[in-house]
Amino acid sequence: MPTLVYLALMDRPPTATSLKAPTTSVRVGPPTQTTRAYWTCQLLGWGLYGSSQAYSALATLPVPWERVLLEITLLNVSAIGLTQLLRKFMLHRGWTKLSMRQLLPRSVVASAIPGFLLGAAMHFMAVASLWGLEPARDAELLEALPPFLRNMDPLTHRTLNWSLAFFIWIALYMGITSVRDRHAAELRQSELTRALQSAELKLLKSQLNPHFLFNSLNSVRALIAEDPSRARDAVTQLAGLLRYTLRSHQEELVTLERELEAVGDYLALESLRLGERLRVDLDIAAEAQGVAIPVMLLQTVVENAIKHGIAELPGGGVLRISATLNDGALHIEVRNPRPAIAPPRQQQGSGLYNAAERLRLLFGARAGLELDLSHPEKATTRIRIPHADSPGLAQVSREGAHRR
Amino acid sequence: MKALIVDDEPLARRELRRLLAEFPGIEVVGEAGEVGEAAARIEAIAPDLLFLDIQMPGGSGFDLLARLDHVPRVIFTTAYDQHAVRAFEVNALDYLLKPIEPERLAAAVVKARSASEDRGAEARPSQILERLFVRDGSRCWLVPLREVSMLLAEGNYVRLFWGKERPLLGRPLNSLEQRLDPQCFFRANRRQIINLEFIEGVELGVGGQLHVQLRGGPEVDISRRQARLFRARMSV
Repeated sequence: MPTLVYLALMDRPPTATSLKAPTTSVRVGPPTQTTRAYWTCQLLGWGLYGSSQAYSALATLPVPWERVLLEITLLNVSAIGLTQLLRKFMLHRGWTKLSMRQLLPRSVVASAIPGFLLGAAMHFMAVASLWGLEPARDAELLEALPPFLRNMDPLTHRTLNWSLAFFIWIALYMGITSVRDRHAAELRQSELTRALQSAELKLLKSQLNPHFLFNSLNSVRALIAEDPSRARDAVTQLAGLLRYTLRSHQEELVTLERELEAVGDYLALESLRLGERLRVDLDIAAEAQGVAIPVMLLQTVVENAIKHGIAELPGGGVLRISATLNDGALHIEVRNPRPAIAPPRQQQGSGLYNAAERLRLLFGARAGLELDLSHPEKATTRIRIPHADSPGLAQVSREGAHRR
Repeated sequence: MKALIVDDEPLARRELRRLLAEFPGIEVVGEAGEVGEAAARIEAIAPDLLFLDIQMPGGSGFDLLARLDHVPRVIFTTAYDQHAVRAFEVNALDYLLKPIEPERLAAAVVKARSASEDRGAEARPSQILERLFVRDGSRCWLVPLREVSMLLAEGNYVRLFWGKERPLLGRPLNSLEQRLDPQCFFRANRRQIINLEFIEGVELGVGGQLHVQLRGGPEVDISRRQARLFRARMSV
């Protein structure tokens, strides 16, 4: 459900910093946490291995227990030290980026070296014969073994044993880091996708048309001389509309009711300029008021209807806005008359195109915006926005209402 | 100076009227809200100065200029318009941004007034064209005809040779000929009208033909029929 992803994004403002923070934390991680996990694994792993050695040594070898514990501890602490060096070496040589085929022979060599060191060190210890087989005691077992193992000298035997331990260590280490890295990469990828989408949303969001802004200021200046009280109203409306556009940078969804307030301010200002030419007919179903819609969406559509429709007609016309709720979706319809022959300089609907794109990003394919120009003198814009009862959407819509 | 205000917004027209009340030399003789009305007013009143909005219903300010035979001096008034800015790159048309600053308006009025005084002394018969508004694709020019060295017929259109520019005018050469200043312009042949002030040299050709070299422009042949007239004019 892509919608949920986008809505989750809405919960915190998608600023550059807030998107970056989790990315870095995933990638590098709070160093203490990773280090702690590593050391826990090291101590636990070697501790268990050492314990099993100590257990079998105490059970089979005629060596005093203090001696056994001392030597086994010494061996396993050295193993920890050696793996620590091994880890540094692997990180330094970038083994995490190697393929399986490249990794395998390298790991064999890399585990054989410390394996030999410990195997040799054990030679001088009392527990040296830990893995050795006594011909007297283990005759049956010796019989079963293949000859090369039976005749293997004790040093090779110990080296092999320790090498195997180191090999398993390398395998575990590489396995764990690769899973962790892949997880981090996936997270980073999804963060990146979200960041891209939010940047895209920001780009698509329509700004207040500067032409409209300066014309309104001009109207206000004229009204200051002619009708100061209307001038005051106009300044309030302009301020409201500006505040709304500025805030639209922070939120993606608002209630239809809130958007209609801004559209009302916009229409009041436009009717200062257009006078009698602009007539508005609103028909909004009560239950539709609370539905969440993309901020500035209806505003863009209405602005388009006036710019390319009513403002182009010397006699003006009626702008009809209706909103109904049925089939679990909000249906908004904006109808306006337009000149039969559109002036060629118009590039109709780049604003509308962006609005449709924004709708798609926020709601997916279930939402839609279409401009119907089949009638030569009329234009109808139809918007469909799903009004799902999904908790995410309800939450955002409540939040949008709350922020007013 | 008689001025006409063309703007589709009544409030904007009244505001400009108020601003212009400060200038005793400017008399606002009327206003218009759209292109058709404006064209009629201009023909009737023949104002010296036009305050012209660019975006209007039923046609832009440029559409209005393209319709006019006599283009008065124009000061564009616009809120924010790339079309206008593009047009002014080529040309000396003045423009004001709305809301209009009184200082900028004063400067524009002074400029308009001095321009009208320049040529004001010798009152010319009103049939003679002084400026042509030309729109070619997305570019616009307000071409002073005195600066045009040659007019070349291209089918039903006329190519103007004006400095480095070669704007194409959407009407036939014959309709222009009657309206050109006869002191300046001379019909060289079927396709070309030349500006006599641009002549650099004249050569005699075979069979009584004349070759005229124009400053910054091409060589033009004067047809045999016109050569006699040309000699009389220039006393060659």
